[in-house]
Amino acid sequence: MASIEIANARKSYGAVHVLHGIDLAIADGEFIVLVGPSGCGKSTLLRMIAGLEDITSGDIRIGDDIVNDLQPRDRDIAMVFQSYALYPHMTVAQNMSYALTLRKTAKERIAESLAGVSEILGLNALLDRRPKALSGGQRQRVAMGRAIVRKPRAFLFDEPLSNLDARLREQMRTEIRKLHRRLNATSVYVTHDQIEAMTMADRIVAMHDGIIQQVGTPIEIYDHPANIFVASFIGSPAMNFLHGTCIKTDTTSAIRFADGHILPVAPRPGLYAGQEITLGARPEHVAIAAPETPGALPARVDLIEPMGLSTLIHVTLAGHELKIFTMDRPAFAIDSTIHIAFDIDKTHIFDRNSELRLPPVIKAPEETTKETSGANGT
Amino acid sequence: MVGSPVTLLADAGKRPVARRGVLSRKWSGILEPYLYVSPAIILIVAVMLMPLVLGLSYAFRDIRILNPFSGGFIGLAHFQTLMQDSAFFQALLNTAWWTFGSLLFQFSLGLILALLLNRHFVGRRLVQALVFLPWAVPTFLSGLNWAWLFNPVVGPLPHWFTALGIMDSPFNILSDPDLAMWGPIVANIWFGIPFFAITLLAALQSIPSDLYEAAAIDGATTRQQFFSITLPFLAPTIAITLMLRTIWIANFADLIVVMTNGGPADSTQIVASYIFTQAFRRLDFGYASAIAAVLLVLLLAYALSVIALRRAMSHSS
Ligand SMILES: Nc1ncnc2c1ncn2[C@@H]1O[C@H](COP(=O)(O)OP(=O)(O)O)[C@@H](O)[C@H]1O
Ligand SMILES: [Mg+2]
Repeated sequence: MASIEIANARKSYGAVHVLHGIDLAIADGEFIVLVGPSGCGKSTLLRMIAGLEDITSGDIRIGDDIVNDLQPRDRDIAMVFQSYALYPHMTVAQNMSYALTLRKTAKERIAESLAGVSEILGLNALLDRRPKALSGGQRQRVAMGRAIVRKPRAFLFDEPLSNLDARLREQMRTEIRKLHRRLNATSVYVTHDQIEAMTMADRIVAMHDGIIQQVGTPIEIYDHPANIFVASFIGSPAMNFLHGTCIKTDTTSAIRFADGHILPVAPRPGLYAGQEITLGARPEHVAIAAPETPGALPARVDLIEPMGLSTLIHVTLAGHELKIFTMDRPAFAIDSTIHIAFDIDKTHIFDRNSELRLPPVIKAPEETTKETSGANGT
Repeated sequence: MVGSPVTLLADAGKRPVARRGVLSRKWSGILEPYLYVSPAIILIVAVMLMPLVLGLSYAFRDIRILNPFSGGFIGLAHFQTLMQDSAFFQALLNTAWWTFGSLLFQFSLGLILALLLNRHFVGRRLVQALVFLPWAVPTFLSGLNWAWLFNPVVGPLPHWFTALGIMDSPFNILSDPDLAMWGPIVANIWFGIPFFAITLLAALQSIPSDLYEAAAIDGATTRQQFFSITLPFLAPTIAITLMLRTIWIANFADLIVVMTNGGPADSTQIVASYIFTQAFRRLDFGYASAIAAVLLVLLLAYALSVIALRRAMSHSS
């Protein structure tokens, strides 16, 4: 096992710049999830760690070695591909033991490792089959097995679950987590699925347009997103955003929406009168309120989505579409007007120009989270 | 069209009501599928089977173009003559030499070319197009061209060989009975490389690149990747192209006829050119057909054994 350190790594294809200076330190045994929308450069970064792509500039270190110029086979890492990339003409057993055979490992040792791993992954009955005689889930397991058998210094996963159906994906998520706990292997896991990121990661690395937006534990990222991109990308149903202008007295601040409604917000440094700001509120931090509740605003009901456990209410407020998450089962008529109230302490304020979050006044020590100030500048 | 929708719905999903007699329905049920495929069957019989059967029947008849009294059935007489015909057995040996000598080099050079063309380099598309060029030249012209290239009076090759020390003095290898076969073989190699290069290149390009990436991460060197990924993927293509080309080259007399005409002293006569000589020089169509029938049987046996071998291999592995 080894740590991985990426220092100012850049990647361009000719004039196309894909990664703009990535800095990331991954601790030994850590499970890191790179998450971001399709095309943001996650796979490219992962393939640079694997040695499948050249590094345009910067350094990548695995353990104590700078691996920039090492061939993939000299890096001692294992990778699980999105397509699984199983060797179609080899049996499951041959697929899994290929790397060990290349290393001229003794036959008994190979058999031993193979038996151990196929036991863990439940592949015992499939060892003599070819990949084409396996289901998607079984192929996925073989791909995992092929990586594990080698006991590499680090595991790299490139969207390994995206070809599975929802239920199987959920099951494999927990299984990979359990496996990680058991092997305690340094892992870099790429996904575009924020649920995978939230549920699996020790730390999430949120990426956008080739820039790391934020690094933190899932809860840090969820509760204290560094900017509008992270806030909107992480969380399902997604965060609500309402644009407005800041109005301010000496002691109080508020946001005024286009329709004239005013909502008080917690004061925070960096907020000035007339500033274009965006209020961010997760659906669970907006509640149905009685009309006389202070701060309650009228909103029109657009749609009610029952999800069994909970209900999602779509409303329109000041020209913005909002989602409200509730554990109740309200029976509002479509197009009726209801009143909603925001949990002011839990809402976020973003500067509309920099898109950065304006953190509230630090109240308690646990509020000091590490937030990389990587904004995408737009 | 104006029919009431209710009755339409009620009829939906029902089979058409039987109106004809039970017997005629049964017969038309049996004949119907054959009726549909009959155009294809008639075409195949007319275009493929008829000429084949007709040609084979000549082998059992005495057909000499210049002899008006010929044409009668003579049974196996041609085949008995053939068994005593030493020129035929020499041609059989020459055919093996010609076929496998050409095939070995066509295949190995074609494979190397395909591997080179599968890499990324500037001007790759242009080179890929150029590789096809030998095929754009009519065989007849290629043969003449190569014959001239080997000719010390007009061609440079003998002089180059002399300069390289391979020959003592410039001479035409096509007129040396021991070496003459190499002339058409070289021309055939040049002519046949594109086929292997292009088919193998297509097969190479269908190999998913992530397999190579997975193998590289698993620790395979380029050479190991070739043997554990490239070759297994190419194997079916290699098997089928080798088989097809063997048969094709064995039958391919054009270059030989143009370059050496089977000579000197029948040293480059292959079975196919021997058939040509018998049929169109001696005008003995019956005997030529008998030789052709033997060649057909031999090639059929070869093809069947290759297929059986492949089947056995794919079942055992
Ligand atoms: N060989 C290439 N040439 C040019 N651009 C590329 C190449 N490979 C990837 N890209 C670009 O790099 C960006 C990042 O790709 P990738 O890392 O695959 O994204 P993802 O985050 O979806 O895995 C994409 O915009 C893609 O178009
Ligand atoms: Mg990707």
